[in-house]
Amino acid sequence: MPSEPETVVDVRGLTRRFGAFVAVNDVSFSVTRGEIFGYLGANGAGKSTTIRMLCGLLAPTDGRATVAGADIAREPGRVKRSIGYMSQKFSLYADLTVAENLDFYASAYALSGRLRAARMDEALELAGLADRRDALTRELPGGLRQRLALASALLHRPPVLFLDEPTAGVDPLARRAFWRVIRELARGGTTLFVTTHHLDEAELCHRVGMMVDGRLVALDTPAGLKATHVPGTMLSVGTGAGGEAGTRAVMAALAGMPGVHGWQPFGLRVHVRVDPELAGPGRLAARLAERGVATADVEATEAGLEDVFLALVRR
Amino acid sequence: MLPDATETRPIEGVGAFVLRLRGLILKELRQTFRDKRMIGLLMIAPMIQLLVLGHAVNLDVDHVPTLLADEDRTAESRAYLDGLTAGDAFRRVGVVDSAQVALSEVSAGRVPLAVVVPRGFAADLGAQRPTRVQVLVDGGDSNRAIVAQNAVATYTLRRSQALIAARGLPAGAALAPVRIETRVFYNPSMNSRIYFVPGVAATLLLVVTLVVTAMGLAREKESGTLEQILVTPLGGATLFLGKTLPYALIGLIDLGLVLGVGTWVFSVPLRGPLGVVFFAGGLYLMTLLGVGLLIGALARTQQQALVAAFFLIMPAILLSGFATPVENMPTWLEPVTRLNPVRPFVEVMRGVLLRGAGARDLAPQLVTLAGMGLVVFSGAAAVLRRRLG
Ligand SMILES: Nc1ncnc2c1ncn2[C@@H]1O[C@H](COP(=O)(O)OP(=O)(O)O)[C@@H](O)[C@H]1O
Ligand SMILES: [Mg+2]
Repeated sequence: MPSEPETVVDVRGLTRRFGAFVAVNDVSFSVTRGEIFGYLGANGAGKSTTIRMLCGLLAPTDGRATVAGADIAREPGRVKRSIGYMSQKFSLYADLTVAENLDFYASAYALSGRLRAARMDEALELAGLADRRDALTRELPGGLRQRLALASALLHRPPVLFLDEPTAGVDPLARRAFWRVIRELARGGTTLFVTTHHLDEAELCHRVGMMVDGRLVALDTPAGLKATHVPGTMLSVGTGAGGEAGTRAVMAALAGMPGVHGWQPFGLRVHVRVDPELAGPGRLAARLAERGVATADVEATEAGLEDVFLALVRR
Repeated sequence: MLPDATETRPIEGVGAFVLRLRGLILKELRQTFRDKRMIGLLMIAPMIQLLVLGHAVNLDVDHVPTLLADEDRTAESRAYLDGLTAGDAFRRVGVVDSAQVALSEVSAGRVPLAVVVPRGFAADLGAQRPTRVQVLVDGGDSNRAIVAQNAVATYTLRRSQALIAARGLPAGAALAPVRIETRVFYNPSMNSRIYFVPGVAATLLLVVTLVVTAMGLAREKESGTLEQILVTPLGGATLFLGKTLPYALIGLIDLGLVLGVGTWVFSVPLRGPLGVVFFAGGLYLMTLLGVGLLIGALARTQQQALVAAFFLIMPAILLSGFATPVENMPTWLEPVTRLNPVRPFVEVMRGVLLRGAGARDLAPQLVTLAGMGLVVFSGAAAVLRRRLG
């Protein structure tokens, strides 16, 4: 049953200054129901400041925004009832146990009786901590802690969830588990706003906004962003047994080569963005050989969001 | 699937307020009592401080210059006086033969202590009649006076027991043959320790509650948990009460403990209605907790909160009249001491405990405490709402 996408977060010209410094500069976008909206940017780009305004924690200097139909400046109470928020810092009580933390947030959200018991059980289940309810939160590994924080932000079943770098300091396996939960929530109709600087995570978002110095410089699906901002071809150069020294040699040879827009080490390979005229893998291999790097291992590959990001920052 | 008829949604209204407040108070208490250092700071430190400070008053007095007056001039009287000055407690400054001379020396302040053995001392002992020794004390230095008097009493008791034993009487018949009669000049009640306990109680409450509330809020700010609380629908009023009620409770328990120790260890009398002390304590705590939360709301880090708290605590103690009488301070400081909640609270405690004063006698102090409490408490609530709401 197809239906009109319902706008859940609507942001128009949102701006926040700290003194003369503009942390968030005239940002506009909207997020629809069930969407995973990724907010990508370097440290200090203004991601957290945007989230804190949308959660009603910080007043905007200019512009306006509605979250679940409530104006963030005029109805912060209504906003708070419809959102869940995981701040960038780990913000559960490290000196309380798992159950005590959930107990506190269940009270804060005024859950009582059977509903409270059921929601707390579900939260323990979601965090994978059903058998560790009495463990001190401080003693949990990073991945479990973040899942507990997520579970407590979900106790009241908010239709909108703001996650500020939810997987910072979490190992790759736990990150993958975390993202499974995020995607499941989105399928269930929760709207998610997620900041990250992991580019592989951004690939999992439905749409990605890129922040550079307080400005939203690009906004599209991951595929759309790549098509717009890193057109042309991406080639991947392997160095065989050369190891890191080989990688360095390739990059040194690429410096100043005509038709080469940029490159990026990628494990023991180098990703090179090139003009269409250099598009054939053979052409690049030949140019490299001219500069004393002999390699037959050049193949076409796909651009990543990292390439988009670098292209945008360089501009 | 049909929705469950009972409690399938968060509750609203008063029920929600009570639930939230309960959750917050429970959380504060759990955190407080999980931290062993906190239990020490809140419950044990006040006791130890009171014991140490209370005893410090009479620890460091010895070699008290003592004038001996021997009116009896017998072997027994000489033995008694020699024994008295043999130890470190008393230093013999002279021997006279009349109580009259000793009296004038002490009352003129030339010597702080005189011990008089009256005529008939040896005869009484010989006839197995109780007899007495007179101690003349300059009470101006009340610490020293108490120590001196106690030391004479202890010495005399030991001698009496030796005499009882020498006569072959059973220890149970311990009717002391030598009694002490003390006359104190200038400060007849010599109540320095008694006078001291209310001040210690007030300052302990000040330190404990101010530091704990200020640090508690600053810690939540620093660790980011406050932000997490602020995105929940838990309102400013709930937050304010949840952050003060547990510590008000702990403060009142501390007050009870300090009063208990004061009564049992230092024999502080409880002459007036205890309810007035706790009522005043509640009002006093309102001011302290309000100031604590103000500091916590304005400070950015725990470090800042701690520094700010001590910055207020030091003058509050010094200007409370707890150690130095307010009357002895420069007149320009007088208005400052009026803004100090410690002062009226110490006055209430002393009034009730030592004089047996009631609410009516202490009405001015109680009104002052209530006024301060309401102003500071509501001011702190307003600031908290503006800064964090
Ligand atoms: N309360 C504040 N006062 C002053 N500057 C701030 C404040 N909060 C954030 N900033 C500044 O705004 C910029 C954006 O910060 P932030 O939104 O936290 O970035 P991000 O989350 O993208 O790393 C940074 O330069 C930061 O120093
Ligand atoms: Mg951030």
